[in-house]
Amino acid sequence: MPEKIRVVVNEDRCYLCGGCAGVCPTLAINVSASRWEFFQEKCISCRICISACPVGALSGEPLGVGE
Amino acid sequence: MKYDVVVVGAGIAGPIVARNVAKAGFSVLLIDKKPAIGTPKQCAEGISMTVFKKYDIPYDRRYINREIYGAKLYSPSGYELELRYKEASGVILERKVFDKMLAYYAAKAGADVLARTEAVDVIKKGGRVAGIKAKHEDEPVEIYADVIVAADGVESKIARKAGINTYAPPHEFDSSYEYEMLIEGFDPDLIHLWFGNEVAPRGYVWVFPKDEDRANVGIGINSDNPQTAKYYLDKWLKENNIPAKKLLEINVGVVPVGGFVKELAKDNVVVVGDAARQVNPMHGGGMAEAMEAGTIASKWIVKALEEENISLLQNYTKEWWETDGKRLEKVLKVRKVTEKLTDEDLDLFIQVLGSADAEKIASGNYGGVIKALLKHPKVILSPRRIKLLRELL
Ligand SMILES: Cc1cc2nc3c(=O)[nH]c(=O)nc-3n(C[C@H](O)[C@H](O)[C@H](O)COP(=O)(O)OP(=O)(O)OC[C@H]3O[C@@H](n4cnc5c(N)ncnc54)[C@H](O)[C@@H]3O)c2cc1C
Ligand code: SF4
Ligand code: SF4
Repeated sequence: MPEKIRVVVNEDRCYLCGGCAGVCPTLAINVSASRWEFFQEKCISCRICISACPVGALSGEPLGVGE
Repeated sequence: MKYDVVVVGAGIAGPIVARNVAKAGFSVLLIDKKPAIGTPKQCAEGISMTVFKKYDIPYDRRYINREIYGAKLYSPSGYELELRYKEASGVILERKVFDKMLAYYAAKAGADVLARTEAVDVIKKGGRVAGIKAKHEDEPVEIYADVIVAADGVESKIARKAGINTYAPPHEFDSSYEYEMLIEGFDPDLIHLWFGNEVAPRGYVWVFPKDEDRANVGIGINSDNPQTAKYYLDKWLKENNIPAKKLLEINVGVVPVGGFVKELAKDNVVVVGDAARQVNPMHGGGMAEAMEAGTIASKWIVKALEEENISLLQNYTKEWWETDGKRLEKVLKVRKVTEKLTDEDLDLFIQVLGSADAEKIASGNYGGVIKALLKHPKVILSPRRIKLLRELL
């Protein structure tokens, strides 16, 4: 089991390109024309989005047990 | 709102479908989440000359930056392979204008077009997708349609919400990063491509000239790489003493380079372009592929509507897989083998191939190139290289 994470965006780095949303296997990310959004309940902590971002705008914060 | 067809996404694939279906007399709505269709661009803007005639797109100077006469390939140790035609073989577009004009052609053909309209979900009725929920300038809108087209690019949210499986593993995507910048010292009549495992793992660095001294300078690498695309491009610029001080734009994107979607139509929903992962896995170009898929899809949408038989949409899946799908599967096989090449292999191959072979690469005749390589003494002496190349035949 991967460590449970919350994916966070650095808005100053993000270009809203939608790439992370495209590679996410569970639709846990939505990228609109003006906003990056994350849905914790859908995330399976696979980190695919984090390595795919071309500029390193995403990171994973460890989630405590029960969070 | 009710239309015969709603198309989500006004990149390349969407407007082609919207235009063709509207031309046949059906009511079409084309929506895009961007406030200005085409902006920001996520593209190096290179496309072959053949597409204008083939897909009935005017050769309009408003979206053509520059005509291109060939390509130059650079190996990790600096060997070069040049291919130059007498006539222009491709162009560097201005996609901000191009995408918008494609949407304009769709509108002229009769389609309605709404920018700043984001599809947020599908509407399901009786187990079937009856339309989409969207947001236009923060106002919710419901759009009902007989056929729903997901042309929503790499995100493919609407295709997935409609139940089409567009999943591809992370290795089947490239991460891309690009500067539109002032750059000198490269022949502006050619596109330039640099290969090497340290330069651009799995991919390449490109310079696509838009002017004598202005170009899209970018990179694509495997998206499951521990480093970012930006890291590799900045490193390449530094190592080549190219100052990154005159940056006009920064463009970012993820490109599907494999994992073509098996089921392109499900009931009354069809998926086209990047959303269907219809991109050339070798070079990551997807505009021509999006136009081709859009053309096939629109043909079957029109037939399905004319004959009031939605099951005819399945013929889009069938036709695409028998034609472009078959071709791209072969290209994917080549990509998988080229991933195993070392820098020495790349040096050798670029060293021994001549312009006749480059011509074959450009036309997608990889078989001919492999046969030429297999004849070379340095290749014959290496059982590993022979094995790799044989995998491709
Ligand atoms: C850096 C980079 C360089 C590239 N260089 C080249 C190149 O030189 N040549 C080439 O042929 N290809 C290139 N490509 C690939 C090419 O850009 C794509 O293959 C092509 O744009 C695919 O067209 P499309 O219509 O499928 O998707 P897109 O062009 O991505 O269009 C999708 C549209 O859908 C909209 N959209 C998405 N979600 C929603 C929603 N929910 N609601 C409403 N609208 C939505 C988006 O705003 C977008 O306008 C490059 C890609 C990248 C990232
Ligand atoms: S991939 Fe990176 S830059 Fe693109 S939308 Fe996601 S976080 Fe932003
Ligand atoms: S970690 Fe995995 S599941 Fe979670 S948002 Fe990223 S890609 Fe999606």
